[in-house]
Amino acid sequence: MNEIIEKIRAEFLQDSKAIKSLKDLEPFRVKFLGRKGLISSAFDRMGELPKEERPLFGKALNELKKELEAQYQELLNRFKRAEEKGHRLDLTLPGRKPFAGGRHPLLKVADEIKDIFRGLGFSIEDGPEIENDFYNFEALNIPKTHPARDMQDTLYITDDILLRTHTSPVQIRVMKRQKPPIQMIAPGRVYRRDTPDASHSPFFHQVEGLVVDEGITFADLKGVIQAFAHRMFGKDVKVRFRPSFFPFTEPSAEYDFSCVFCGGKGCRVCKNTGWMEISGAGMVHPNVFKAAGVDPEKYTGYAFGMGIDRIAMIKYAIDDIRIFFENDVRFLNQF
Amino acid sequence: MKVTYRWLKEFVDFKETPAELAGMLTEAGLEVEEVEPRIKPFTDVVVGYVNKAEKHPNADKLSVCEVKTDEGTYQVICGAPNVKQGQYVPFAKVGAQLPIGIKLKKAKIRGVESFGMICSKEELGLEAHSDGIWAFDKEYPLGADVYRLLEEEYQDWIFDIAITPNRGDCLSVYGIAREVAALTGNPLKPIQVKVEEASSERVEDLVKIEIHDTEGCPRYAGRIIRNVKIAPSPEWMQQKLEAVGLRPINNIVDITNYVLMELGHPLHAFDLATLSGPEIHVRASKPGERFVTLDDKERILPENTVMICDAEKAVAIGGIMGGQNSEVSDSTQNIFLESAYFKPERIATASKRLGLSTDASQRFERGTDPENVVRAIDRAAQLMVELADGEVVQGIYDVYPQPIKQNEIPLNTERINRILGTDFDKEAIRQKLLSIQLQVKGDRVIVPTFRHDLSIVEDLAEEVARLTGYSNLPAHDRATIPYDMPISEHERQMRFFREELLALGLQEIFTQSMVKKEEAFAFASEEPIKIKNPVSDDMAFMRPSLLAGMLKAVSHNLNRNNRNLRFFEIGRIFTHFDGKNIPTQPYSLAVVITGNRYLPAWNVSEQWVDFYDIKGYLETFLRKIFLDNYQIILYDKSKYMTPEETIAIQSGDELLGVGGRIHPDVCAVFDIEHPVFAFELNVDVLTKHVLFERQYQPIPKFPYSERDIALLLDEGITAADVVEFVKKNGGSLLQSVDIFDVYQGDKIPAGKRSLGLRLRYQSAERTLSDREVDKYFRQIINKTTKHFSASLRK
Ligand SMILES: [Zn+2]
Repeated sequence: MNEIIEKIRAEFLQDSKAIKSLKDLEPFRVKFLGRKGLISSAFDRMGELPKEERPLFGKALNELKKELEAQYQELLNRFKRAEEKGHRLDLTLPGRKPFAGGRHPLLKVADEIKDIFRGLGFSIEDGPEIENDFYNFEALNIPKTHPARDMQDTLYITDDILLRTHTSPVQIRVMKRQKPPIQMIAPGRVYRRDTPDASHSPFFHQVEGLVVDEGITFADLKGVIQAFAHRMFGKDVKVRFRPSFFPFTEPSAEYDFSCVFCGGKGCRVCKNTGWMEISGAGMVHPNVFKAAGVDPEKYTGYAFGMGIDRIAMIKYAIDDIRIFFENDVRFLNQF
Repeated sequence: MKVTYRWLKEFVDFKETPAELAGMLTEAGLEVEEVEPRIKPFTDVVVGYVNKAEKHPNADKLSVCEVKTDEGTYQVICGAPNVKQGQYVPFAKVGAQLPIGIKLKKAKIRGVESFGMICSKEELGLEAHSDGIWAFDKEYPLGADVYRLLEEEYQDWIFDIAITPNRGDCLSVYGIAREVAALTGNPLKPIQVKVEEASSERVEDLVKIEIHDTEGCPRYAGRIIRNVKIAPSPEWMQQKLEAVGLRPINNIVDITNYVLMELGHPLHAFDLATLSGPEIHVRASKPGERFVTLDDKERILPENTVMICDAEKAVAIGGIMGGQNSEVSDSTQNIFLESAYFKPERIATASKRLGLSTDASQRFERGTDPENVVRAIDRAAQLMVELADGEVVQGIYDVYPQPIKQNEIPLNTERINRILGTDFDKEAIRQKLLSIQLQVKGDRVIVPTFRHDLSIVEDLAEEVARLTGYSNLPAHDRATIPYDMPISEHERQMRFFREELLALGLQEIFTQSMVKKEEAFAFASEEPIKIKNPVSDDMAFMRPSLLAGMLKAVSHNLNRNNRNLRFFEIGRIFTHFDGKNIPTQPYSLAVVITGNRYLPAWNVSEQWVDFYDIKGYLETFLRKIFLDNYQIILYDKSKYMTPEETIAIQSGDELLGVGGRIHPDVCAVFDIEHPVFAFELNVDVLTKHVLFERQYQPIPKFPYSERDIALLLDEGITAADVVEFVKKNGGSLLQSVDIFDVYQGDKIPAGKRSLGLRLRYQSAERTLSDREVDKYFRQIINKTTKHFSASLRK
């Protein structure tokens, strides 16, 4: 019984000599005075003793506990004082930093667009970047001699295989494999034969939208674009639809958002018009439905596009599209 | 397309200001890109009277003048030869702001002071070049503001309008006026031309016209105008042409251009004397045919181009450009005037193949109005009478074997409303269609030939929407969406991979997919996919690996001293193409690292990343995406990796990707001198092996025990061999085998390597006793040392 007490005391003394600094003190305390420390364990094992010995042992153990606690406190104070006088950490020195990455700003904006449309109940589809003429042009009501082919100067692999000039081919692919109702967006890279400059890149990024069902009208299209504008740029943004022409929609529209820089009053960015051109939209042309095997008598639908690069440039006030693809970390670190 | 405000007013009487009109046109789909005043504003230029004009005492070519205004008289030096006493002139006072960007100051010229300037038209921005000052031909009140005077009389606004390809009818002043009439609710003035046919000859007796290619040219009409006097066209015509961007040439050419702008119908004037026969034959070109156009260029004609020929030779490329051999010159006396209708597709194809786009071809390929053929030729002929003293021969030689029919569209009110989400009644729709000069007969809409773009009821819906104003159409603020829209598995998987890569502290980059030849070939195991008509040599091939674009980004950063890079990218790569079907374009995922292992700091020693860093990223990524069954194998078949520092990942027989050090030769292609490490995985293959749906495994309840051992092994024995052997033979309680130390050096014999192994034992049912663990540990160590002829390192 006394052996146990003595053994703990001796070990305490031995260990206390090895303590060199404040940080050694905590494991030391845990070992002897912690909840599972030697003293607690000794209390736990009191049950093994004959009944008559227990009160005496308990008393001795309690005294030992008080004694060791006092000694521990003294040690603590001593090392604290030493630490205060001696080497203190200079907390103003910079910390060791881990590598921290992040999303590319363009894809961050794409995520935001996708999230908005997911919230509106759209599925997200994908299609190949190298397409054939049928999906990119023919099925979209753009025959070989159509003047609209000039609007989209195309990069070709062969006479029939090309780099898609828009994300619209995904519309056809989805309609061909899935019966209406369809409500989807398809983000992705598209290509045009443009010489790179501040506002042109031979590859850029679009989000295609397509909704097909019975009873879909132009009013649905207007509503969805309006909802997108509000979620992307805030409730104050106004949307304007203007008649336009695309072979794959009829009626066709171009839509603009009121300038987010001047609130529509007119500034340098919006060339004093108060509006920023976003992209095109319209009701799916019956010829497109026919090419994709959808009955134009039964179904109506709308389609829209938008430029991810353009929206990202507006959002971050970037005036040169090429900066996205240089991937300079001093640029990427800003997002 | 440029039109002017005043020119439009010749055809519609409207009240709207230029800005209002621009807004209305834009809302109706004719996007006005710019409205520019013809006269740029200027200030402090007033009407002055030249009291005196005397020679400058010290300069022959200068005059000292006295100019009187309502405020007094000023001494002014003038350099123009035509200044005279008694003229009323525009006088710029000191302080005047001129449109050419000058603010006038007091000056001393050759010793004589000058208080202002007498202006030329050039100085007021009214013409490009003036030979002298502008003397008014009227006596305006002295001191009157000249800008105000001009504004009332001459100010005009040039509208630059973007016309969509379907609206060929708006490539003319009259076509836009038709829209203005509909939008402002004012009547459109009809064009009525009465040609004075002064000559007694008849056109049929003088010329023969035959169309051999009626598909390419459904209608061809000609007139002859005799005894024209070639001269500059009058000022008013030159001004209007210049305003809309055309250069005046001579009266005949200007007249054809003027009618082109006014009515949108291209005409061509031939010198009748150059036409053999005189006969006109319209035929398709033959293979290899050559022709010299009036810009003096010899062109090889694409097959099936519509050609205008005389009895012997070709004289014009139909609808695109005339020939050098028959163009109007200063000595031309008699004109053969052509007005034709060409099939749009034929002109579009020829113009594209020739690389020749003209004002005429742009209109024909969008579709002109076949009914405009006669109106345009009459308008031009009459102008040749008025402006070139021509005598028009009797009659039009008009060949039109198969007149083009007007489109008829059923007026389906229900369908129009179903598309637009509106509830227009039939009468409202009818009124709108009438306003753009369509005819409505009962339930049918008859479309005049100038609006050939309208052929189905959807087209009518657009017209109704356009004339209502898109802004005035309803917009829904809710939708009925089926709850079970399918979600894309692909999208879900991509998100998952991307999030795990981001969680590793990597920076996402987004690089170009078109690369230059050397960059593509560096990574291609077969011929990379080539673009036939690339933007430039720098973007002539499709990337066969993400690394092609990513190393470019690495190089860009290293060149700018951004040295510590941790990049990843997910995107399509373009590998195999059979020449027929669209190529395989799998998604790929790659990580590239270079620079310091830790970000430099005061308490961090500098170390470069090496093979084990990229391997660590790879192993951690594969663990985080729960790829359970894979093997890492040594791999020396990669074209772009250093063979002795390359591994491959495979699952079953399938190769998922490779990782290691980019070969220095490949780095050199990108101008990179630093060591770069990377791995790239085929996402499409990867997704087949990843278990996306997982179930929870209980966490072990009982503690584990660990035992360490250091083995001295022959150098050639790999760590993987040892670990695999230990795992296989270590018994069922052995949970894992880790390597905690590797040593090779002075302290052990040469040719040997020491591997420190840490074995962890654990049971799911009980706490293992020390004795039990020791027993298993001893057994496996004995087996291992025997198997590898290893010894224990003390
Ligand atoms: Zn603005």
